[in-house]
Amino acid sequence: MASSSLLISLASCLLFLAVSPALASNSEGEALCAFKSRLSDPNNVLQSWDQSLVNPCTWFHVTCDSQNRVIRLDLGNSNITGTLGPELGRLQHLQYLELYRNSFMGKIPEELGNLKNLVSMDLYENQLEGEIPKSLSKLKSLRFMRLNNNKLTGSIPRELVTLSNLKVLDFSNNDLCGTIPVDGPFSTFPPESFENNKRLNGPELLGLASYDFGC
Amino acid sequence: MPSSPILFFLLFLCFFCTQLSCTKTEVQALLAWRSSLKDPGRLTQMWTSNNISTDPCQWDGIKCNEAGSIISLSISGCQIDGTLDKFNFSSFPNLTELWMDHNENLHGGIPKEIGTLHNLQYLHLSSNNLVGEIPVTISNLSNLEDLDLSFNQLTGAIPSAILNMSSLHYLYLGNNNLTGQIPKTIGNLINLEELHLSANYIKGAIPREIEHLTNLTLLSLYENELSGQIPLEIGNMTELRIADLRYNKLQGNIPATIAQLPNLSFLYLGNNQLNGTVTPYLGNNSYLEGIDLSNNNFVGTLPPLLCRRGELQYLQAANNSFILLPITLKNCSSLTELDLHENNIRADVSQTLGEHPNLSLIDLSKNRFYGRLPSNLGGNILSLSLEGNEISGDIPKELANSTSLAILNLSNNNFSSLPLIQAPALESLHASNNKFTGEFPLLQQNWTNLVTLDIGKNNFYGKIPSWIGSSFPVLKILRLGSNQFEGYIPPQLSMLNNLRLLDFSNNNLKGPIPHVLSHMHSMVIKTMTNESYITYFVSNTNEEESIDFMWKGVEATYQETIALLTGIDFSCNALSGEIPEDLMKLQGLISLNLSRNQLSGMIPNNIGNLTSLEVLDLSMNILSGTIPPSISHLTSLDTLSLSHNKLTGQIPSGPQLQTFNMSDFSDNVGLCGFPLPNNCLTHNNSIVPLVENEAGYKKIEVIWIICSVILGYVIGFWVYFGALYWKISLRFAIFQFTDKMQDKMMKWCGRYFH
Repeated sequence: MASSSLLISLASCLLFLAVSPALASNSEGEALCAFKSRLSDPNNVLQSWDQSLVNPCTWFHVTCDSQNRVIRLDLGNSNITGTLGPELGRLQHLQYLELYRNSFMGKIPEELGNLKNLVSMDLYENQLEGEIPKSLSKLKSLRFMRLNNNKLTGSIPRELVTLSNLKVLDFSNNDLCGTIPVDGPFSTFPPESFENNKRLNGPELLGLASYDFGC
Repeated sequence: MPSSPILFFLLFLCFFCTQLSCTKTEVQALLAWRSSLKDPGRLTQMWTSNNISTDPCQWDGIKCNEAGSIISLSISGCQIDGTLDKFNFSSFPNLTELWMDHNENLHGGIPKEIGTLHNLQYLHLSSNNLVGEIPVTISNLSNLEDLDLSFNQLTGAIPSAILNMSSLHYLYLGNNNLTGQIPKTIGNLINLEELHLSANYIKGAIPREIEHLTNLTLLSLYENELSGQIPLEIGNMTELRIADLRYNKLQGNIPATIAQLPNLSFLYLGNNQLNGTVTPYLGNNSYLEGIDLSNNNFVGTLPPLLCRRGELQYLQAANNSFILLPITLKNCSSLTELDLHENNIRADVSQTLGEHPNLSLIDLSKNRFYGRLPSNLGGNILSLSLEGNEISGDIPKELANSTSLAILNLSNNNFSSLPLIQAPALESLHASNNKFTGEFPLLQQNWTNLVTLDIGKNNFYGKIPSWIGSSFPVLKILRLGSNQFEGYIPPQLSMLNNLRLLDFSNNNLKGPIPHVLSHMHSMVIKTMTNESYITYFVSNTNEEESIDFMWKGVEATYQETIALLTGIDFSCNALSGEIPEDLMKLQGLISLNLSRNQLSGMIPNNIGNLTSLEVLDLSMNILSGTIPPSISHLTSLDTLSLSHNKLTGQIPSGPQLQTFNMSDFSDNVGLCGFPLPNNCLTHNNSIVPLVENEAGYKKIEVIWIICSVILGYVIGFWVYFGALYWKISLRFAIFQFTDKMQDKMMKWCGRYFH
């Protein structure tokens, strides 16, 4: 009796596991469609995004791995206008987020911090505003973070110094304020990475109580 | 006494007058409503009079009774723009018919005053833009026989009072936004002949009270959210001819009682969650013409009596788990459409298809059919899809010569020989993944209709004939990949002005890539982006074309977006020579795969012209020279492979280029720069030994110094002591010298300290 019910529950669990990648892919398609719904796309770049398909892996500008999970989103230089919604954070296996050179507006959603496999975040040359979310410090795999040429404000979150894999960072041409962290990977970034932020006050002074002035 | 005729006359006059004033108020009401409209459309000319008296009975669309009162008002399709708010319904006590349909700008709600039209028998307000709820007052119209409110935007639940109107014969509420459940009062519609509630959002179960609808011939509930089981009381609806319950969430079995219905001709149950076996008696009692069981979870065998009365034309059972077919199917000569795709049917195809002279659409794909095709496949065949079975043998001549055949899909079977195909109407030919062999198949030349030719994954050999270029004027997809074709790529291919997808991968082709391929007009222009259809429909059918294509490292089936795919795949051949610069004119390309060949020379400088390119694979060739800087213009590129070549120089930088890895450029001896770990330092771009940064430099220096010092010590040691060891005279000379010096020192010390 007990053994047969155990067997049944195990079987259904396995069945669920077998089915769940398919479910996951479907929810990634839903996330991408939710993302698309916030956008105006005059060049019809997203024309192939058909939600009736089982997964988004045959969509143009979307690349999947061998298990049909989205690993790349390449929409750079596509004349897209709109905002970034929290649904992007559901693409759990995303490695490359290429949204540069468009007219994305509004804030960087803090849900982007959930993309624990993200290697490259290229949001540069848009019209993004608001602060750089502290949650981006959870992106432990991140190697490239380019947010330059936007209208970002606020200070550079100190938490970003924990991103030990970060090799290239570009926050130039924004409206950031406060001081520039010097720990961790920040010691390797050249000053050009921060230029043209009028209210940015230069490297933080170590040994003093850290505070942001003029911010 | 003498007053009674006068009284009578006065009464008569009064009556006449009231009738006149009735007519007068009717005219006034009509004109008052017309002037309230934003745009009266055709009413302006319809409701005009030439005489001084405004007698509406002469107007278009208006009928009156003998007393001159309006009984019928017909203003369909009059381009009216306005609402019914100012329509004075109570002014028309004698109205029996009101036709106001097909005015797409007639908006607003249905006023509850409509319930004052006590004599109304026919009410047609369909195909307008009406919103709001159905007014309960309609149930006051005790003479109403026809109620048609379909194709509007009405909301709310169907008032149960309306489903209580036993006078109704025809009730059409389909294509609205109605919600709620079907009221149980529906059982009172004992005179109802047709019920349309389709294309709404109605939930809940089908009430068992439908058993009382003994006059109902048409039950149309498709495209709602109905759940629960089909009530077995449906077996009591003795007049039921058409039952359309498709696209709901119905569960459970088909009740066995449905087989007893004597008049059932069309049973459409597709796209639900029905399961179990289908009652074997279905078709026993009535002249079935059409059955749709598709997209459910039915199991077992298809019922054997479906064709018993010899009337069955349409059999749709796709996407279930049926495993067996009845033998009666072979003799069902009335069949015109047979769709059994995506089941688990294990049957001999020659025992399934037999005497079917009228069969025009056959889809048996994705089952386990075996055996050989019968030769009498019927002369009216339009579409035959056998994809994904275990059928073997030849293609019968009758099929190959069919004048009606437009779609032939034989892919993924065990067919072994292709005869000369002379089907002039053929638009789509799929024969991939079979055991076909021989030279390029004999196809009738000058195929004015062929759009897709897919013979990949077979054992074809020999040359690709040059007449391909001039024989297929509308060809869009040409897939010859994974065969053993050899020889050159015929330059005549460039004449295929509609070609979009070209796959010659995995063959033994040699020689150069013809530069005239740049003339393939459909690949030059960027994909039309404002087309609303991005799939290819095969004409005369509802079939969407599909193709398997390999890009982004995965082979996938493309159907819905097939019209956006523009690509060339020549990978895995023995092609040589340079990549023609002219090829860079094909700006529509989204995928270019020339990998695994012997291509030499440089990557064309203007590769940046291919701005739509998402996939570029040139790996495993012998390309040399530098990577052109224009490659950084390809901002849509998400897959790039240049590895295993002989490229040199600095890898260009660019926004999309910086997202690629070492592995995409590996095994190129002279290549340097990001993302490769080796920097390019000199103008000659010579390689510098592996260093990470300045700290590395210092490390090397330190190592050299230490090495030199140790070397110095070792050499010095062995020069001195080696000489001493080997040359005796030298040894003596040195020892003697040392002794002499020692003596001198002693003498000097002694003199000095005493």
